[in-house]
Amino acid sequence: MRHSRVAYPLTWRVMDVFERLAAAVWPSSFQRGLPYLMLLPAVVLVGLLVLGLIQIGDSSLRTLDTSTFMMSENYTLANYQRALSEKFFATVAGRSLMGAVIVTVITLIFAFPYAYLMVRTPSSALRKFLLVALFLPFFIGQVVRAYGWLIILGNQGMVNEALGLVGVPPMRLLYNYPAVLFGLVQYMLPFAVLMLAPALTAIPAELESAASSLGAGWVRTFRHIVLPLARPGLVGAGLVVVTLSLTDFAIPAILGGGSQDFIANAIYDQFFRTSDQGLGATLSLLLVAVGSILVGVVFMLFGAGTLAMGDERK
Amino acid sequence: MTGSRSKSIVIWAFVVTALLMLSAPTIVVLGASFTAGNIITFPPEGLSLKWYGAIAQASDLRQAFFRSLIVATICTLISIPVGTLAGIALSKYRVRFARTIQIYLLLPFTIPLIGSGIGMMLVFGEMGALGKLWPVGIATCVINLPFMIWAVTASASNLSPDLELAAANCGAPPLQRFLYITLPAVLPGIITGSLLMFILALNEFLVSLLLVDARSVTLPVQIYNSIRSIITPDLAAISVVFIACAGVAIALLDRLVGLDIFLKSK
Repeated sequence: MRHSRVAYPLTWRVMDVFERLAAAVWPSSFQRGLPYLMLLPAVVLVGLLVLGLIQIGDSSLRTLDTSTFMMSENYTLANYQRALSEKFFATVAGRSLMGAVIVTVITLIFAFPYAYLMVRTPSSALRKFLLVALFLPFFIGQVVRAYGWLIILGNQGMVNEALGLVGVPPMRLLYNYPAVLFGLVQYMLPFAVLMLAPALTAIPAELESAASSLGAGWVRTFRHIVLPLARPGLVGAGLVVVTLSLTDFAIPAILGGGSQDFIANAIYDQFFRTSDQGLGATLSLLLVAVGSILVGVVFMLFGAGTLAMGDERK
Repeated sequence: MTGSRSKSIVIWAFVVTALLMLSAPTIVVLGASFTAGNIITFPPEGLSLKWYGAIAQASDLRQAFFRSLIVATICTLISIPVGTLAGIALSKYRVRFARTIQIYLLLPFTIPLIGSGIGMMLVFGEMGALGKLWPVGIATCVINLPFMIWAVTASASNLSPDLELAAANCGAPPLQRFLYITLPAVLPGIITGSLLMFILALNEFLVSLLLVDARSVTLPVQIYNSIRSIITPDLAAISVVFIACAGVAIALLDRLVGLDIFLKSK
């Protein structure tokens, strides 16, 4: 049988050429390698981070010669000794760690009812409103949001002006620890709600109805049904919030005004103020280590599905 | 919802507080940008558009905004093919060491941003590429790549393997199967992912701060550098640009794929 030339459209012929090309470049006997080829670009891109970590590791082993401002040629562990022994870094690390824990607890307390209402409400208009209210700040970026807080909380800001109208003297609401924590909670809320919502969707509403028809009040239903079943979501959200707030730069920098530095700010200062690249690299590597240990411990305790990267489907 | 009046009171109390926290900065920035005064006061001194006129004249702000757009475009253009291929490979095929590869591809999320940023600063510095815009585009792509892969894998799970087999049975060669069956099936994921990538790259601050120099600042860095103790309304007006971009992105996301996909349980 011969095909009629007219009945064979041009696009098909073009596709045929591409098919033949594809088959020549990647014959079907290579079929099993195909998924690896598809993964290759992503692996290479993320490889940049690995290269970066190697560079950081290399820098962390060299000290700064203060007379020539050159990095030393030979490797030493002096930077690690300094990072672990100097009191300033311990203060900063303690401040960041405690801040991260407080922020996580407060964020989860607020995110949980938000996600619950968003998932359970019968009104699709309310659900959409809650989603938009969540995505808008998420998409605006940290700097602009922190700037908004400056306008609200600054010395001549809205809160102080409003207080002034009723005769209360201006208060210093910014550049202190609570202001930084507050800004971080606001920054973290969308992340936490978006991690919690799928976990709450997975809990059938009938379970709650069953509990209440058996006589459990809503507080007991929450404690014994909803919270335990939402644990994977809570753990995932908690992990994301802890690591992101522990390592945040913009909020402590803008709302802390230099007096409330977190680890990231200390690292930045080592690179760009003191120009001690070695010490900065050391601090970065220690922070990466702390973060990885945190993630690793949570993965080991609760399983690696916690971050829900679409992996447990298969 | 099951439950009593007290339950809804408690839940609403938390939700209203959260809503206030979430929206206050946005609303205040919007309001401040329309002030007629030279500093931001409360109550406002009247309405005017003069600060929008002022930022339209400021070439440094305009250039910074264009740089941010370029960075976001580079980031999105790279992430679409890379993330789509990786996402399809992870969800459709049985890959050896899949677990290890997944953990490896999650590195951008598990390595703190300051670590990733400093690392790439050193790498690009070694290459002598600092101060250009393409490294910033690549860097923002790397740190947000898991979002793209996640979006694609999430929608690839809707694709039944039978469909591709049926197409093959009808004589469709591999490339056609990919273009006409697989790709349309994951398209919602690609749209979601690329919108996320674009808007996150547009807003990216820390990695930009580390990779740019004085001649190549992006808009978030420019705003950060201009924040002083006295708060002037021109920054509010330029911030509204970000709010507008975020609004457009949300509207597009809702229109094209629906915001509800973020509530789906796995």
